Parts: sequence; C-alpha cells; structure tokens
Amino acid sequence: MSGTSIWLMLIGVSLVSLLPRILPVALFSRFDFPKPLKRWLAFVAPAVLGALTTLSVLAPEGDINISLNNRYIWAFLPTLLVAIKTRSLFYSLLMGIIIMALLYNFI
Amino acid sequence: MTRTETPMQKHELQQGIKDSIPIILGYLPLGFAFGVLANEAGMSILQATTMSILCFTGAGQYVAIGIIQAGGAIFTIIMANVLLNLRYLLFSTSLVPYLKGHVPTTLGSLLSYGLTDETYAVAMNRYQEHAPTASYMAGLNLSAHLGWIASTLLGAVLGGYIGNTDHLGLDFALPAMYTCLLIFMLKDKSDVIVALASAFFCLLIGYLMPDAMENMFNIIIATVIAASLGVLISERD
Repeated sequence: MSGTSIWLMLIGVSLVSLLPRILPVALFSRFDFPKPLKRWLAFVAPAVLGALTTLSVLAPEGDINISLNNRYIWAFLPTLLVAIKTRSLFYSLLMGIIIMALLYNFI
Repeated sequence: MTRTETPMQKHELQQGIKDSIPIILGYLPLGFAFGVLANEAGMSILQATTMSILCFTGAGQYVAIGIIQAGGAIFTIIMANVLLNLRYLLFSTSLVPYLKGHVPTTLGSLLSYGLTDETYAVAMNRYQEHAPTASYMAGLNLSAHLGWIASTLLGAVLGGYIGNTDHLGLDFALPAMYTCLLIFMLKDKSDVIVALASAFFCLLIGYLMPDAMENMFNIIIATVIAASLGVLISERD
C-alpha cells in the first residue's frame, strides 16, 4: 500500500473509531432515558466485562482455546482468587503477571 | 466554578491517572507489538504513531495491519473497523446516564474519544461509587491514550532491536485487570447471572460464527442478550 493510501486509510479508520464513541454522549445527553432503558443499560457493564474476561482468557490469541495448554487459564485461576480475596486491582495484576511470567519461563 | 484548577479537580485528575496505570501496563506489549508490525507492514514510524493517536483502537489497528499485509483494500480496512467499533456505541450510550449532570456534554463527548474496552471497564467501576468528573475522565483516558501512543512509538523505533517480550508476563495484564474489574462489578446475584450469561453467549456465538469473533460482534450480541436477561430477572430499579 502506498504512502498516500496509508494516510487515507488512517483518516477513514479514525473517523469510524471516533464517531461511535463520541456521538452517543454528544447526542443522547440532552434526553432523559426511560426507566426500563436505564435498567437495561445498567447491565451493560457487567455483561461486557463478563464477555471481555472470558475472551481474554479462553481466546487469548483470537481463537477459542479451552485446553490444559492454554496458559491464560492457569494464570486466570489464582488471579481470580486474589481478586475475590483482596478486592485489589494492584494485587490481582501483580499475581497475574508473575504467574504468567513463571509459566512462560519455566513450563 | 472558576476556570482555575481547584484542589478537587486536581485530586480527580490524579485519581484518573492513577487508575490508568494498570491499563498502561497492559497496553505496553500490545502497543509495542503494533509498532513493530506496522513497521514490518510498510508503515513509517510517523504513520504508525499517527494511527495510534487518531484511531486508538487496538483490535482495529491490528486488523488494518493484517489487511494491508494480505494486500487488501482501504475500504475493507474501514468496513472491518466500522464493525469492530460498533460496540463503542453501546459503551458510550451506557455512560450517558452517569455523565449527565456531572460532565458538560461537549467536554464529555470530546473525552469519550479515549473510550476503549479498558478505560470503559475502569471508569464504570469508578462511577458505581463516585460521580464522574471531567478531570477524572481526562486523567484516565488521556493517560491511557498517551501510554498507547508511547508504546507504539517505542515499538516502531526499537522493533528491530528488542526481541520477544512474552517472558515478562505482561500479556496477562489486561486479562488480570478484566478479571478484577468483573469481580468489582458483581453487586448482586443478577449481575453474576448477567456476566455468566454474557460469557456463555460470547463463546457460543464465537464458536458457531468464527467471523463474529474476528469483528467482536459476539461481544455486542452477548451483551444485548445478557443485559436483557438482567432486566427480566432483576428486582432492582
């Protein structure tokens, strides 16, 4: 792809990444959402996190990999325990990264 | 309120920056790898960095590199990004009830440019207990964005010199962050059911339709199903 095409591509991609993020806040902020919609939206975050967590652990490279040799599953289990026990993002992250580093280097 | 910075604003800004640190840790290997790959795909350091400044869409940028390397067209890249970024419509809309009355609309819209899977997860977690402020949004979103830009630049410049960074374990920074934020988000039984349902459906859809995995449509569909289920089973207002 030529230099000019890459710049054109950059502009196109930035527009389609920018608009879905800013338009809802820009347009919908003046309206008061009806109560059922608000209740629905309140469940969006737990649903999104459920999906993101699952995919990041069970499909770390893009394809679903539910097997014993998926290191992410082994790192996930102690991280989950630490997250529940300490409710600390710092310790969860520390545990996850250390376990992952150990798995890479020693297994 | 005056235009000068109040102690409160400063505190919120600092909190936002602090909360962005785990995100930046996770972005480091991802942004770095993007810089390396972009360079290999024929993008200059300037183009790779500009892409991270203007687009700030991890998956979308990786897809663009893949399509360039496969000899695909600009139109294909843009359409793939339209699909990939549709989920932000949902994220951004779900932020509206929180931002309303706390963050001015224009400022809130502009700062929403920094909305990603990660900043969304962290911000929603914060807004459960604290009212949003523009300073917090700025601290969180701009720092995360800067981290993404800096790691891209590093990757594009140093790519050839530094080998594989897998052994550092940073690959698990974002999954670990999601795991912990998910735990924070589960306030009652209906949240747990919603999260589990969403996990199940995104895998099922991804399994049945591998294309949906690639453009992340499985996240959107799973979220819509699971949130609807939540409304049906929940007693709360």
